[in-house]
Amino acid sequence: MTAVIKEQKSFMAEHRPLQKSKEREVMLSLSDCSLSFGEVQVLNRVNLDVYRNEFISILGPSGCGKSTMLRLMLQLLGPDKGGMVTYASSDLSLGMVFQKPVLMPWLTALQNVTLPLELGNKKKFTKQEAREKAESALRLVGLQDFMNHFPHQLSGGMQQRAAIARALAADPAVLLMDEPFGALDELTREKLNFELLRLWESPETSLSSIVMVTHSIQESVLLSDRVVMMSPRPAGVTDIIPVPLPSPREAGMEELPEFHYTVKELRKRVKHL
Amino acid sequence: MTAKLKDSLYPLGFGLGFLLLWELAVRLFSIPVYLLPAPTAVLSAVEASLGSHMLVTLMESLAGFMLANILGFVTAVIFVHSKPIEKGAFPLAIALKTTPLVALAPLLVVWLGTGYSSKIVASTLICFFPILVNSVKGLKAIEYEAWELFSTYKGTKWEIFWKLRLPTSLPYIFSALKISTSLAIVGAIVGEFVGANKGLGYVVLVSSYHMDTPVMFSAIIASAACGLLLFWCVGLLEKKVIFWTRSDDL
Repeated sequence: MTAVIKEQKSFMAEHRPLQKSKEREVMLSLSDCSLSFGEVQVLNRVNLDVYRNEFISILGPSGCGKSTMLRLMLQLLGPDKGGMVTYASSDLSLGMVFQKPVLMPWLTALQNVTLPLELGNKKKFTKQEAREKAESALRLVGLQDFMNHFPHQLSGGMQQRAAIARALAADPAVLLMDEPFGALDELTREKLNFELLRLWESPETSLSSIVMVTHSIQESVLLSDRVVMMSPRPAGVTDIIPVPLPSPREAGMEELPEFHYTVKELRKRVKHL
Repeated sequence: MTAKLKDSLYPLGFGLGFLLLWELAVRLFSIPVYLLPAPTAVLSAVEASLGSHMLVTLMESLAGFMLANILGFVTAVIFVHSKPIEKGAFPLAIALKTTPLVALAPLLVVWLGTGYSSKIVASTLICFFPILVNSVKGLKAIEYEAWELFSTYKGTKWEIFWKLRLPTSLPYIFSALKISTSLAIVGAIVGEFVGANKGLGYVVLVSSYHMDTPVMFSAIIASAACGLLLFWCVGLLEKKVIFWTRSDDL
């Protein structure tokens, strides 16, 4: 991953096609994906490759179809004719974290995290394995002392952590996040951002790539390797901007000139939309 | 003294106060007993047979209540999984609901006789609609994202039903059950009015022929007690089953 950052030292990097992209492994790609709900066209010929070991943020005006794009990646929705969603392998596992925690209020944190592991006709894990995986996922997000709490006994931030644990428990290679911290307060949000990075870099998780929808420019710059800019509806990818910050990201990097420069650059482009 | 005990003292105090005022009013204004019997007169009119009549009505209501809720819930499950059936049969259910039970009761007695079954069916008919409507609503009340979550992890229809739809619908189901408790008693009593030789409806009817107002009052109060008993049982069950909704006082 460090190599990825290095090759983007130049600030003009965004204007030349991503070099060496042929050598990098594509985990998931959208090609020429358009999507219409009846008369309304939401996405217009979206092309995006998600590479192994990268953190991508999708930035764009609200209601532009960013969440729809994640649903295409998850194959919960299919693109219109002509579009294609391809995975690196047929058994690529994806995890999803929604804006709301979407925890079942009648299940404890542990039961909620275990839930997806026990779904489906093909049982991937035994009961014991599922439980152990769920427990270790909860430990990873720091909820080891709250495993038997019900969602209404947890704070908003803890609920979202449980949701992240639920996504991690199934060992996803690609984690899709739809404004995961949008509903949280600034302090919790900042804390969870760094925890997310820590989880992503941790050898204990199988996470290779993260795609995060956000409407915060700062957040996108601080967290990601590339920022994907979307236009208003019908949304297409207008720009893909590499972030020239060193890796691993740490608190305090918001002070670096590269950070400010990239934020400014993104602001400019948002205005042009 | 616990707060719970203290809370139950309020309705008890108000109830006793009301009875006292009633007794005093009857005595002070010497209201004739056939118009309004004093509480003491009602109490002295209570016989052992009232208990058995009460038990009859309670059993009829309970049987109708259970039958309606099982049938209504199963119908709702079918409706939720099949749009054509829902579209075709919902108007019929509404037509059934809008037909006054009082108008149907004589027909039920013609068809089923003066025994228990006509009362049970009357009770079933009146309880059927609330559970049907609420179950359909509850089973469909799942969060869209929760459905997406189950789909992402390849949850089957069966799993979506058991692990998502059913628990989501429980609060809706319980509010239907609470509404139905009093309706179930109404169904049984209407059935008894038309043709019966036992039950609280029968007691009310016969005592009205004899202008025996104290007995009539005792039967009316007993029917209210049946409703309260059912309501209380359902409420207790609800608290045990649905532990995750917070009931904050505002």
